[in-house]
Amino acid sequence: MAFHETTEKLTPHSGAKGKPRRRLAAAVLAVSLAMAPLAVAPAANAATETPGTGTILKLALTGDIDSLNPFKAILASSTSILGLEYQSLVAYGPKNNEEIPGMADKWETSPDGKVWTFHMPKDRKWSDGEPITAKDAEWTFKAIQTNDALKQANGGLLESVASVQATDDETLILTLNEPQAPNPGTQLPIMPAHIWSKVPDPATFTNEKDSVGSGPFVISNYDKTSGVTLKANPNYWQGKAKIAGITYVPYKNTDAAVQALKTGEIDIVSSLTPAQYNALKNVDGITTNAGAGRRYQAIGINPGTQTHDGTPMGDGNPALHDLKVRQAIVMAIDNKTLLEKVMQGLGQPATGEVPAAYPLYHWDTKDLPLKYNVTAANALLDEAGYAKGSDGIRVDKQGAPLKLRLMGRNTDPTHQQMADYIKPWLKEIGIDVSTVMKSSAQVNDDSTVGNFDLYFTGWGMGPDPDFQLSINTCASRPNADGTGATSENNFCDPAYDAIYKAQHVELDQTKRSALVSQAQEMIHKSAVNDVMYYANSLEAYRSDKFAPFTTQPELGGVITSQNGPWSFYYATPMADVSSTNATSGGFNAAFVVVPLVIVLLAGGGFVLYRRRRTTSDERE
Amino acid sequence: MSASQLVGAETAKDLDEPGRGTSWLRYVAMKAGGSLFSLVMVVLLGFFAFRILPGDPVRSLADGRQVTAEQMDILRKQYGLDQPVIAQFWRYLTDLFRGNLGDSYTYNRPVMELILDRLGPTLLLTGTAAALSVVLGLWLGQRTAWRRGSMFDKAHTGIALTLWSVPTFWLGLLMLLIFGGTLHWFPTGGMVTAGSTATGLAYVWDVARHLTLPMLTMVAVVYAQYLMVMRASLLEEMSADYLVTARAKGLREDQVRRKHAVPNALLPTVTLIFLTLGGLIGGAVTVETVFSWPGLGYLTFQALSAPDFPLLQGTFVVFSSIVIIMNFFADILYRVLDPRLRTA
Repeated sequence: MAFHETTEKLTPHSGAKGKPRRRLAAAVLAVSLAMAPLAVAPAANAATETPGTGTILKLALTGDIDSLNPFKAILASSTSILGLEYQSLVAYGPKNNEEIPGMADKWETSPDGKVWTFHMPKDRKWSDGEPITAKDAEWTFKAIQTNDALKQANGGLLESVASVQATDDETLILTLNEPQAPNPGTQLPIMPAHIWSKVPDPATFTNEKDSVGSGPFVISNYDKTSGVTLKANPNYWQGKAKIAGITYVPYKNTDAAVQALKTGEIDIVSSLTPAQYNALKNVDGITTNAGAGRRYQAIGINPGTQTHDGTPMGDGNPALHDLKVRQAIVMAIDNKTLLEKVMQGLGQPATGEVPAAYPLYHWDTKDLPLKYNVTAANALLDEAGYAKGSDGIRVDKQGAPLKLRLMGRNTDPTHQQMADYIKPWLKEIGIDVSTVMKSSAQVNDDSTVGNFDLYFTGWGMGPDPDFQLSINTCASRPNADGTGATSENNFCDPAYDAIYKAQHVELDQTKRSALVSQAQEMIHKSAVNDVMYYANSLEAYRSDKFAPFTTQPELGGVITSQNGPWSFYYATPMADVSSTNATSGGFNAAFVVVPLVIVLLAGGGFVLYRRRRTTSDERE
Repeated sequence: MSASQLVGAETAKDLDEPGRGTSWLRYVAMKAGGSLFSLVMVVLLGFFAFRILPGDPVRSLADGRQVTAEQMDILRKQYGLDQPVIAQFWRYLTDLFRGNLGDSYTYNRPVMELILDRLGPTLLLTGTAAALSVVLGLWLGQRTAWRRGSMFDKAHTGIALTLWSVPTFWLGLLMLLIFGGTLHWFPTGGMVTAGSTATGLAYVWDVARHLTLPMLTMVAVVYAQYLMVMRASLLEEMSADYLVTARAKGLREDQVRRKHAVPNALLPTVTLIFLTLGGLIGGAVTVETVFSWPGLGYLTFQALSAPDFPLLQGTFVVFSSIVIIMNFFADILYRVLDPRLRTA
């Protein structure tokens, strides 16, 4: 209504009738010129919407692509895409993350666990039709071993490999520096030697177009603006996938990706927050999935950080050197409530580092030694000689009040939420906690060199626990400047190191599983890393377009970020659903807004141009 | 953002003081010298400021992965991070003089290439948004000033200032939710339909559809500054004697405004436009993130999280250079436009 009044007031001023009319005519001309090409555009657009035949699965690409070169790619989104194109010698199955044939159909270990022989079947082909042989695997291993520039992504996987040899096209022999139980054929993507050995510099090869691989899908194109497209590999040894391809659509925030799922622009979205997950629960045509997570959430407790040679460093509170104080802290934290309140119940209660999603190595106990028990925690502190002062805060051995700092990341809102619960809980056992949220990089720096008392931490994990256990050995502690090895939480116990070594070489699965559980129990009892819960991976997909996806593990597992290509390889489009494009139907506001903008710009330009001319006329 | 830009408007007004009476050559040389000095400072700051940031780039690259200490040492050597800071600085300087911004740690590609790849989309978004908000702001600015105190004036300054105060990401998400998610009028993100192989006009149309929401969000947030400056400078002119003369000549009110008042009022506004253009590119970061626009904003964000020193230095030098060059143009343009300075 404000506009109504203004038009009345406008009229007396717009006196010069001739000129506005000319301007209007020019504007109309500009519009029609601008509209002319656009009017024919939609028809052309419709033709390009179905490239080839068959259904394309569209995923939200919420992370960034650093590189699609398997020697270089580090970021999770890149490696998960490359996991669809390149196989390892040994794969992890959809059922339970168990080891299953990948490029090799069988393998054996020498009795001492030092020599691993892989057999590669001879009838398999790369996506371009060239045969896959053991020479490809040999080339890949050797390329990384002999060229530092190619070590960036997977160099760590080859540390234990002394030599590699393809004795013929079907046999690959890996000789290790020392015996080991973890299969050295998992994880490392094997690349086609006939392509990569001819590339002038494999380290700078982008591998972004019509790439050749052995997995169920191969990259056909990557463009920063339109995303990554993959097409089904007809030569994949288990048969061609039911879908024609996959497109990763770049979305830089999950809120937008959720909207895109609703409009049908994408078919799957992952990394949802509990709020987004719950909002999508009852939407027609969308099914949500809370898969067992591969990540633990913990509180690190500074036991007195030391360098790898045992020199103390950092500014952790000395009271935490006392095992009983650390244990009391673990017992005062109610993990169940955190899981219920902060994660809205979307997760599993934790025991040790290995999540329940990996049942082979998960420490499955109903009776945690340091389970939630405030009375016992208080008793433990009394017994250790930390008397409560008049204000209810305990006094440390030097007579000062027991005050601890709790550090979290300002990039993760759950850290502040958890801190708000933990602060009063620790007050109940007489510990005064101050919380501080910092940038991720600052938390990394501070935690590495021990500048903290308590901090929120967590690790995502692959199916084999060896690496996670290895970063709890004494040798994993860093240098004084924070360089050197990586430690989970500066734990060091020679007894633990012995158990780590024992499981590292134990070829018997049952015995190794027991040792891994034992190792986790030791870390738990030492109270340096209080594992609180395993958060679920929250995902949602268009169930009106796709049949339920294969999850990993089969029961209660995840769809995206699997250890293997299974969910997408087995993806089945709903037969009766034609791929309707939600955006193409109905009124398209772009037809109005885009030309309107052009008119405004053209009009503005025109007016400015006229103004410039008239004023210069006047000057002269 | 608002404060610095409004300060920019103030300084723009003072620009004529040193300029008056000096020769063209001296004026340009002086301004160029100033810009060059700023550029040198940016180059120095670009190196040292980011070294203060927390985080070890090599450790972040290794984060959560199976990487041994030896491999981290190899990476440090590869990136030159094992050298003393002064040696690293020398390498940065000599490379910069050769037009080489170094290689990104994360992307393993030359920083220059990464920036050029993403500069286009950012320029398209900020360019169209700037053009539209300038046209809209100036037009509404002179209308509101001419009818100061009317409903039209109150309504438009009210709307503009409200939008100006709204957080960009919030407005963007709201637009996305309403026009993308609920009404399905526009795509929910990106610059082109993913996987589309459209070329020619179909491609242009596709980009235009994707551009609409982010551009309108940017326009909504920034046009107020042009409106307010235009309005303020026109109000200043409105009491001037020469308008009385113009009216006395028998000119119609519309002509008085368009031919006499507005050209004079445009002077500070044009300067402001150039001053803000550089800032707009930096300000696009939020809009780019909300609408998944493949521009420089997200690249900078990714660079910060590592921290990826060469990429950070590169984006910083490029962003700052754009602002400095734009300011230089503003200085020059001001002198070109103001007939009083020109004839002096």
